[in-house]
Amino acid sequence: MIDRRQFVKRTCLGGFALCLDHWATSPAYGQDLIPPVPPIHVTEPVGASRSRLAMPGLFPGRVIEIADSQAIVNNRVSQTVIRGMLEHALRELTGAKDVREAWSKFVEPKDIVGIKINPSGAPACCSSPEIVREIVAGVHSAGVPLQNIHVYDRYAYEIDVGSYQTLVPLGVRVVGVEDRKLDPAGYDANIYCEANFFGEWETRSYMASIVSSNLTKIINVPTMKDHSAAGVTGCLKNLGYGTFNNVDRSHRRPFSFTDPLIGIMCSVEPLRSKAVLHVMDGMRMLWHGGPLNQNPKFIFPAGVLMVGTDPVAMDTIELEKIEAKRSKESVPSVWSRDPKSLTDNGDEFYEDATKNLFYRQPHHIAAAGKLGLGTSDLKMIDHRVLGAGG
Amino acid sequence: MRSEFSRGSESVDNDWPTLLCDNRRSGGQAPQAWRAPQKSLWQASVEGGVRSAPVLRDGILYVTSLAGYLTAINARTGKVQWRFNAKSPIHSTPSLSLEQVFFTSDDGKLHAIEASSGAKKWDVQAGGEAWASPIVSNSTIFFGDASGHLYAVNSGNGAMQWKRDLGGKIYSSVCVSGERVFVGCGSGDVYCMDSRSGKILWKTSTGSGIDSSPAVMNGALFVGSLDFFFYAIDTESGAIHWKFEAELGISASPAVSGDAVVFGCKAGILRALNTQTGKLMWAQRLGQAITAPAAISGSTVWLQSGLTYALNLSDGSIVWRARLGYSLQSVPVVTESAVYLTSMEGDVYALG
Repeated sequence: MIDRRQFVKRTCLGGFALCLDHWATSPAYGQDLIPPVPPIHVTEPVGASRSRLAMPGLFPGRVIEIADSQAIVNNRVSQTVIRGMLEHALRELTGAKDVREAWSKFVEPKDIVGIKINPSGAPACCSSPEIVREIVAGVHSAGVPLQNIHVYDRYAYEIDVGSYQTLVPLGVRVVGVEDRKLDPAGYDANIYCEANFFGEWETRSYMASIVSSNLTKIINVPTMKDHSAAGVTGCLKNLGYGTFNNVDRSHRRPFSFTDPLIGIMCSVEPLRSKAVLHVMDGMRMLWHGGPLNQNPKFIFPAGVLMVGTDPVAMDTIELEKIEAKRSKESVPSVWSRDPKSLTDNGDEFYEDATKNLFYRQPHHIAAAGKLGLGTSDLKMIDHRVLGAGG
Repeated sequence: MRSEFSRGSESVDNDWPTLLCDNRRSGGQAPQAWRAPQKSLWQASVEGGVRSAPVLRDGILYVTSLAGYLTAINARTGKVQWRFNAKSPIHSTPSLSLEQVFFTSDDGKLHAIEASSGAKKWDVQAGGEAWASPIVSNSTIFFGDASGHLYAVNSGNGAMQWKRDLGGKIYSSVCVSGERVFVGCGSGDVYCMDSRSGKILWKTSTGSGIDSSPAVMNGALFVGSLDFFFYAIDTESGAIHWKFEAELGISASPAVSGDAVVFGCKAGILRALNTQTGKLMWAQRLGQAITAPAAISGSTVWLQSGLTYALNLSDGSIVWRARLGYSLQSVPVVTESAVYLTSMEGDVYALG
């Protein structure tokens, strides 16, 4: 069958332009003489109009944060408490009088809705099945049949470890785009980002077909985690690196081109238009060793939930929280450029919060803001903090 | 604890015809003494990654894969005998009965394949995605699917005998003891049903969904729940004898031998509990989330959790380990002459 869509190639000079201010002041880059970010070419469909819900969405710059000390007790997330937290936060975000009205601002009965989870830290720190269930219930309440709700991620085996198949309601499909064996079958050959960062043999990253073709809306459910290469993994990284394949190649010790690749990937249509809401799971905050560390000493039961439509604003707040926790624990900032903090020893990295594998690149958040995906200026962010039962 | 067992002049591999060895899902219990594998007898590769466990009968190893193939491999040589393409990913471990191989596929079909040739005998369409492994007892095949139904199908012709809506997704594989079938459900309930009618005899609730496949021994049903607890349940009444709390959820299925029931949890800790009391006998931290069942062979517990481990059943000490590909859900088949393993990369190993 002939694909009748048309595609266009654009080159993101942003590789230079977005990050020049940051890189020019980064001593590590001067010392280590890493090559500049190469041009990143994006091939995406043309002619499709951007949705009014496209990132930064209906409520640019607004972040609703809610915490409840009873949300996670004995390492178990409370379904009942989560329900109340999510409903309260959504009503605050949207101004709706009830939760059904709130969900109806994002999804319609005819939609095919994808819930993009983050299972990569499963089982210790991943999108909580309890939160996923509440999102399913909310989307369903807006008239979307359960059969048209898909919980998905790129890696099937990580989904298995999280037992999502068993724990989501009857009728909801759980989809892993690829297995451990690299398989291009789940990706769209016509939509990709292309760049050669380190001389890798495969220079393209393709968009998952479930995003390009199957889904009409995406609810993003990132976790609140440190990331050894990106600084933090939140809304943007869960979407960008969870949608395109072959992304590990963007970071090679100790250097990382996650900035600006993460933001560029999130800007590619139709991902940008389909991702309409972000529900950040901060039940368990991983403040060192992300994204995969299972070491309980770095997992803080924060019991926090954040919702918004602006992924840049949400990740900016998340970054503040991770930084605050790291500062409290007297370990280096994620902005650290001290070469002495680097290690090649994975075991050491997973045990010692003063060590890291890369120079982290949290600037990817601000870079995404410059692409129009949202607001990274703390002074411009409408950050509303709600209390339990408030 | 190490002792050698003498290998006979001819290879006599014990049959291992279903997931976790037998219909009670005991996970082994063959009376071999411990002997560390010394070498790879052969290595083969099947198309697609493998999430299931191999099964063995009459010198033929049967392996399913995510590429949709059931592959029959000569257990002595590693040579592929035949392949059957189900045209849908396969997560289930096959079961063997008489001259047939049964397995389910992700498109919801139960397949019956002729064991000697790989020819299709029949298939049956279930209502939803089917990952759970089928089990055959008294000419009836039992399996569940993601639509929440448990099915009983005639093994000779595929005729549906009964089906029962259990109200939650079924990824747990059935175990059978006498005229009773047992299964866990995504709703968190454990069911006991009459095998002939499908009538629910009892239902016992846990605090979260159940991935783990139950095992039966001496009137007790052992099963883990994603509520972090491991349960011993009376097979007659459904009453909870005891429960043991782990650090994280339990999706791995248990193995039972003598007084010990062995299971892993997602916190990466493998434990042995006393079957009567639930008292901890030993715990061994292996580091990575354990989602695979253990298998017990004599004095040895085998487990694939990232690495492949052999542990001493009496104290949990690690007596052997190897990095043989990567596996999260497979179970080694342990025989007198070899240990057979699969990996997520699609490799099949025979170690001797």
